[in-house]
Amino acid sequence: MDTKLANPRIGGQETDEPLLTVDDLRTHFAVGGGTVKAVDGVSFALHRGRTLGVVGESGSGKTVLSRSIMGLNIAANASSSGSVRYDGEEMIGKTTKQMRLLWGAEMAMVFQDPMTSLNPVVKVGRQLTEHVRYHLDISKGEAKNVAVALLKSVRIPEAERRLDAFPHQMSGGMRQRVCIAMALACGPRLLFADEPTTALDVTVQHQILNLLAEQQRDRAMAMVLVTHDLGVVAGRTDDIVVMYAGRVVESAPTDVLFSELRHPYTQGLLWSIPRTTQPKHTRLNAITGRPPDLINPPPGCKFAPRCPYAQDKCREEVPELRSSGTPGHSFACHYPVGSPENEAAFQANLDAGVPAALSAAGRAAAKEEVGV
Amino acid sequence: MAGSGTAHLRPAEDVLLRVEDLVVEFPQGRGRVVHAVSGISFDIAAGETLGLVGESGCGKSTTGRAVLQLPPPTSGSVTLDGEDLTGVGSGTMRERRTKLQMIFQDPISSLNPRRTIGEVVAEPLGVWGPKKKDAQWETVARVLDDVGIDPGVARYKRPHEFSGGQCQRISIARALVMEPELIICDEPVSALDVSIQAQILNLLEDLKKEHGLTLVFIAHDLAVVKNISDRVAVMYLGKMCEISEADELYANPAHPYTEVLLESSPIPDPGIDVEDVDVLEGDLPSPLAPPSGCRFRTRCTRATDVCTTDEPQMRRISEEHYVACHHPLIEPAETVVSVGVGE
Repeated sequence: MDTKLANPRIGGQETDEPLLTVDDLRTHFAVGGGTVKAVDGVSFALHRGRTLGVVGESGSGKTVLSRSIMGLNIAANASSSGSVRYDGEEMIGKTTKQMRLLWGAEMAMVFQDPMTSLNPVVKVGRQLTEHVRYHLDISKGEAKNVAVALLKSVRIPEAERRLDAFPHQMSGGMRQRVCIAMALACGPRLLFADEPTTALDVTVQHQILNLLAEQQRDRAMAMVLVTHDLGVVAGRTDDIVVMYAGRVVESAPTDVLFSELRHPYTQGLLWSIPRTTQPKHTRLNAITGRPPDLINPPPGCKFAPRCPYAQDKCREEVPELRSSGTPGHSFACHYPVGSPENEAAFQANLDAGVPAALSAAGRAAAKEEVGV
Repeated sequence: MAGSGTAHLRPAEDVLLRVEDLVVEFPQGRGRVVHAVSGISFDIAAGETLGLVGESGCGKSTTGRAVLQLPPPTSGSVTLDGEDLTGVGSGTMRERRTKLQMIFQDPISSLNPRRTIGEVVAEPLGVWGPKKKDAQWETVARVLDDVGIDPGVARYKRPHEFSGGQCQRISIARALVMEPELIICDEPVSALDVSIQAQILNLLEDLKKEHGLTLVFIAHDLAVVKNISDRVAVMYLGKMCEISEADELYANPAHPYTEVLLESSPIPDPGIDVEDVDVLEGDLPSPLAPPSGCRFRTRCTRATDVCTTDEPQMRRISEEHYVACHHPLIEPAETVVSVGVGE
């Protein structure tokens, strides 16, 4: 690795303590109709050099979670509580001015849309090194060398020439590479990638995910990969957290999650994905309905209205996260997948003709009604 | 990949839509021309779903729009029910478009935000259908119900009050209200979450059966395309590389580009080493000056001199499987017969 890119502030001492510990993090937004509980009691730990996948639908709070950890929810109506410890230091309550010393240098983010996350009227070279000059206090000439090295490290051909290009002169994949180079510029130890490939084609998605994995290994960074697609995180993360309506519903090491999943929502997400190995016209076992209103969420388990196994208990009592017995695997469900109670609940719902159960059984789903 | 040639077309009397040698070019001034679609041919039988896959910029959306004459293609023919649409006047074309409908990628921006759902879905009827509002509403209510939207609740609401998945259902209702023969779906599920995507795919399959629809399904996600299509055509930079019955294409891809696309698509299985597969390097060449010969040659691992000079033609691999490549992964039928190697 180019030593110029290393951050002098990083000590690099190896400890067993997690790099990032999130404990009971809550981020709420005050809006006209009440309070949106976008993140509502999330806890996890992330060790150095590891990759965590955060999975969920739109509105599950996964983006707000990563922005909360970085202290980017700076709107007047946003409030975060709980604890975020980065390298032993509490992040909640830091001012924007204090956080600015960490942004880019210690933690960085790659955003979803490479089309809009670059400034359209500033040349790529200057955008790349703006924060490098801020953090490392180097001259314009040195910054140029750093920018060339960065573009080469993310394998952009003709790096010198690209410094003078504007973002619109590059393709989407190329722009996402620039965004990654920018995020990596000061050698952060924690990288958030928020749906980094959702706006890109499959072939480019593959290139970008490989690039992120490679850079992460070379720099021993910890990474949080946020996505709605379980297919993207499958081979690329160490652990996965599944979020629904602002809460963690299941978390496990990646291989455990795929082989021993317990939460009906995780199962629904996995079943919804069409696969190239299935014959054509395979009926997908879709999750019915849509994510709940976060201002007035249903009582009890928030997934209950869409769950094929939901019983009265689910609609009344919020399930707490509990361990499955496998190390590192926990879930929040009264009738977990794979248990006898789950099978009984499913049969009862099938008999009663519950739409969610019929859909999960692969039968023609009852029509979704609009409940606005 | 060039894929010219018409070897894969079926007899004209068996198909609903036949597109031959479709060329769409956009002049950019100073003599420069974007070659968006360069000589594509395909056909669709009634009740069939044809999937069009390829990366951004391969011309798949332009192809879909050219079928609707939006804008009319530079050259080539589009034959619907035996009538060539490229020759008809604009008045006749307006009438023909009632049989051809389209569903767009972004469900929210494709609905007028200032109109109620009742007005949005009834608009085509205002032009071609019954003039009485009550009679229109009857049809609209039936179609909304078909797509799983409660007509009573939705009638006076506006698009912003619905989620993306619901807006896509409303767009589908708007397309269905004219009882079209052919619907062109341009990336209808790309903007949706996987869970909602599965709902919409199931819905399209159900509607296809109920209404006897024929679909052109344009998407970049191979798994989605396979799920819904009977036949799949793979496009690259304005050309067609391969066209085949869906199961056959995914089991035995013959074009190197199809293989790369298949390997790149994410599989929800942590046991697969994702970094170990071949990745397509580089970017799509500029459609202003596409490569000579086979357009895929600049990124193809199997390319040789002949790919630079000669454009590959569509060749038959099996009954329903055609490929346009000089060095396909499976040798086309004719070659196998003439060499006569039986292993």
